[in-house]
Amino acid sequence: MELYQLTAWELFEKMAAKECSAEEITQSVLRRIDQKEGDVQAYLTLNKEASLAQARAVDQKRASNEALSPLAGIPIGIKDNICTKGVKTTCASKILSEFVPPYNATVMDKLDATDCVYLGKLNMDEFAMGSSTENSFFQKTHNPHNIKYVPGGSSGGSAAAVSAGEAVLALGSDTGGSIRQPSAYCGTVGLKPTYGTVSRYGLVAFASSLDQIGPIGRSVKDVALLYSAICGKDEKDTTSIRREYPDFAKGIVPSVKGMTIGLSDEYFGEGVSDEVKTAVMKAVDALKEQGANVVSVSLPSTDQTLAAYYIIASAEASSNLARFDGVKYGYRTKEYTTLEEMYEKTRSEGFGDEVKRRIMLGTYVLSSGYYDAYYKKAKFTQKMIQDAFQTAFGCCDLILTPTAPDTAFQIGENIHDQVKMYMNDILTVTVNIAGLPALSVPCGFDKKGLPIGLQMIGPKFSEGVLFNAAACYEELLGGFSAFSALK
Amino acid sequence: MEMDLKRLAKLSRLRFTEEEEKKFQGQMEQIVKMVEKLPDLDASGPLIDPNSPMEMRKDVAEKKFNRDELLKNAPQVQAGCVVVPKVVEE
Repeated sequence: MELYQLTAWELFEKMAAKECSAEEITQSVLRRIDQKEGDVQAYLTLNKEASLAQARAVDQKRASNEALSPLAGIPIGIKDNICTKGVKTTCASKILSEFVPPYNATVMDKLDATDCVYLGKLNMDEFAMGSSTENSFFQKTHNPHNIKYVPGGSSGGSAAAVSAGEAVLALGSDTGGSIRQPSAYCGTVGLKPTYGTVSRYGLVAFASSLDQIGPIGRSVKDVALLYSAICGKDEKDTTSIRREYPDFAKGIVPSVKGMTIGLSDEYFGEGVSDEVKTAVMKAVDALKEQGANVVSVSLPSTDQTLAAYYIIASAEASSNLARFDGVKYGYRTKEYTTLEEMYEKTRSEGFGDEVKRRIMLGTYVLSSGYYDAYYKKAKFTQKMIQDAFQTAFGCCDLILTPTAPDTAFQIGENIHDQVKMYMNDILTVTVNIAGLPALSVPCGFDKKGLPIGLQMIGPKFSEGVLFNAAACYEELLGGFSAFSALK
Repeated sequence: MEMDLKRLAKLSRLRFTEEEEKKFQGQMEQIVKMVEKLPDLDASGPLIDPNSPMEMRKDVAEKKFNRDELLKNAPQVQAGCVVVPKVVEE
């Protein structure tokens, strides 16, 4: 067993027992990156020297018996839409290709306090818009299980790196499924936290009312560890929520005894492949045997939810991305005479096609004459969806669904059909629209050997319950690491 | 459904070649068709969630950056200022 194959918790125990050093762990992961990165292409920026120096500093602290966080010395990758002071943050866009933030996102300040090791910045769909990481301006990331296939998106670099052993943990962001869908495609564990529990300060905004930063790992405990490290009230984000956040990793009780699981027909409809349905139902049966009850719940149509999602997300994106005008930072076109020409050429040369489509969709649904029919109606649909979930959680503790309708598709397969690409998000967007937490865990492989994801959705602030249920399932399977591409 | 892509591009501060315009026209019409699947519901009443009130921080100035640091990312700088095309007529 190589060090890069272990989970964060296992590595923490090894370091505590002086069986290995932080430097050896980082070296092992860096060697793995050298070996796999040519195929996977998960990283946009790699900090080899800096990460080794960080690891050595952790070893020194341990040698002088300083109290250390379980994340101390753990090599972590960061999605490239999270601002890292002094380290390029591109959002995988040409328009930010040279942007070096003069400040840290709040989650980075919080991680600094744990002494974890930063490996580098991870590839994504440009501005987190996409479901395959094919919309990156720089490179396509490949699924480590089969490099002909996409890793999912938009946090495709994060999920691929963790699955391939090129990082022990990673941060992603999730606006409509961008942590959970790539986790399903790559066989990792990914959490989209309750809206407002993780600060968005320093996360380059896509759709501010839906965006959340969250962890990706190879075990439930690892994901809980990283979540505990980044959650909490932040003065710099007005939408962040003040409350008591427990130590989630310590609090895990791997059991579903007495829990009620809700199932909704809407999430097992005709678009969902038979292999995925079978694998998810097998997981439900396994949890039933462990003492869970299963009830059926009614949720609004996924078609309507997807429509509301794309209206709200694009409306916010078109406003948020208005700041990219070539004036204060980012790319600026070379030839222009008027200010307006500078704006238009800068944006047209700086943004990729998918970003342009979302900006135009958002502009359209907010424009006079269309606002009531689209944006306003979508906001009321959102309220209807929130109410429906509240009713559903009156009779169950969590809802189980497939994470995505199918397993990973081939690179290039959906790139010319936007609506087909958007259908990838049909089972995940509801969670963002309703502000709920959801966890994606692996639950099998398809005939092609690609992982299948199971989504667990809970009421607001129920992350602890999701971790308990997921940990119970993890124990039954003998761990989730076998779903990663660590060999 | 006919979409005025020229106007939409203008509002979005984007410009396209004729060929691109044709491509986006078709794509945008497909996407709008998809987002039209909203339910028929009563769109009146309040939308504010009283359970999650927003908490504003105190508006206190703090010194965090110096000018040079902030201008480092600007595409064109002169004498400590960002340079843009002339916008005021004489």
